[in-house]
Amino acid sequence: MFRGFYTAGSGMIAQQRRTELLANNMANANTPGFKTDQSSIRSFPEMYLSNLETTKVPVQNGFQMKGLSPIGPISTGTYMQETLPLFTQGQLRETELTTDLALVDGALPVDRETNQPGAIFYTLEGSNGQRAYTKSGNFALNPEGYLTSAAGNYVLDETGERIQLPSDDFQVTKKGVIQYGDFEVATLGISFAARPGTLEKRDNGLFYAQTDLPDANGIQGVNYSVQQGFIEQSNVDASRTMTDMMTAYRAFEANQKVLQAYDRSMEKAVSEIGRVNG
Amino acid sequence: MIRTMTTAVNTMNQLQSNLDIIGNNLSNINTHGYKNNQASFQEMLYQQFNNDKADTAQRQSPEGIRYGVGAMLSQTQMNWKVGALQVTDRNLDFALTEPKQYFNIIKQGADGPETVYTRQGNFYLSPGTGNQVSLVDGEGNAVSDRAGNAIQFTGPVDQFELKPDGTLVAASANGNEQTAELAVTVIERPNLMTRLSSTHFTLPENMEEMNITETDILTELTGANTAEIGIQQGALEGSNVDYQKEMTDLINVQRSYQFNSRTVSIADQMLGLINNIR
Repeated sequence: MFRGFYTAGSGMIAQQRRTELLANNMANANTPGFKTDQSSIRSFPEMYLSNLETTKVPVQNGFQMKGLSPIGPISTGTYMQETLPLFTQGQLRETELTTDLALVDGALPVDRETNQPGAIFYTLEGSNGQRAYTKSGNFALNPEGYLTSAAGNYVLDETGERIQLPSDDFQVTKKGVIQYGDFEVATLGISFAARPGTLEKRDNGLFYAQTDLPDANGIQGVNYSVQQGFIEQSNVDASRTMTDMMTAYRAFEANQKVLQAYDRSMEKAVSEIGRVNG
Repeated sequence: MIRTMTTAVNTMNQLQSNLDIIGNNLSNINTHGYKNNQASFQEMLYQQFNNDKADTAQRQSPEGIRYGVGAMLSQTQMNWKVGALQVTDRNLDFALTEPKQYFNIIKQGADGPETVYTRQGNFYLSPGTGNQVSLVDGEGNAVSDRAGNAIQFTGPVDQFELKPDGTLVAASANGNEQTAELAVTVIERPNLMTRLSSTHFTLPENMEEMNITETDILTELTGANTAEIGIQQGALEGSNVDYQKEMTDLINVQRSYQFNSRTVSIADQMLGLINNIR
């Protein structure tokens, strides 16, 4: 059989996945705190091809020797191996709403192994009471006065408690301390992930960690500020996403053309080589 | 099936709703007492796809690949900041200069009269029975005093003077003076209120469900609290819609809509390629 037939097919599937991912990025170009997903496409594990040879030794009984001569490695396709969010800071936009709190990255320590900076997040109460993390500071007060995310997840303070406020007439300092009048009500819980790549993005774009992330204040070298009345916009670059989408589309097309070429070869094999009547 | 298309279409519907909200803000740019509404987006569900179990390639993120299916509107929030004051020099135009304070209007609802709240302070006199005149708003609904009754004067009255505590003194040509106390209510959490029209609010119907009472939302300013009232005669509060900001948002949303429709056409072309493999 033609080996490349399924290789081209897998290429089409991988490029389709890529456009699906890029379409989601494009869709979230207006979502506060959204982090662009990046994909890495990887080749299937390689196979090693060898040629099976027979050498005839010119002796009386026609002695034959069998041996393998190497040809080289061959790859049999490609797949989307990983999706990793890009944790760079999005631009700030003023909204004047007191419940919009942008979390602005300061200098963050760089992880030695991955050579990438860590990331800071607001701490939310996710599904099943687990901690969830988000960069979106588009909050609201629920009817009972608790500070929640736009989707209704409770925002937690530095001790892991929910934050209750009498009204949305509160002030937040740069360090994330919520003041109501002259009283300090709570301090927003800011968590730090040294390797944000290990976080898992689940329900409605919230990040989840295997073990709870540490409080950012206890970690040396972590700097951040909270800006009230602003939101952090999505870090999606629309023109880049569109370009990537077109590239993925053309790669998809190229794979389709290869598939067609294989099909024509097979057609020849069927209709010409295998022809019975002259 | 190819998910690119559904992702983009889901998002386009939501962008359309956002355009509706921006359109409403723009059309109320000259409505006195109008407060602008801001919509924000959030991510939709995330889905995980598992990779081949035998895949041993090194990776940063937890196993599998995850991506979302578009964006949706998460919440609309009202900006309760005070709009610019317009001086009209008409003695029955009133502007509330402190945020969150509202006039009380008695509106004839389906179940008899009910109190609704507005910051639109252009009031008029309407002839009642005999020589009574009542103070009404632009729609002809009676303005309420602090006891919850419609404000009425025994006519003819031609001079009106407003005291800083919200007391309205009406004088006749013969020197007789009558007083009425304009009811001013503080709505601590305007985002919980139900919008009847662009400027009129009422208490939500599902307060029991939300486990809150009227006192959690409203505070009537009476007695010593009337010192908190900020009210000005001969002026109206303009809408707090920022024209430039709304236009910028409009362009941005419209472009996002275009980007997503491009995504749909790319997905369509990809489906065409699949159909044309043979």
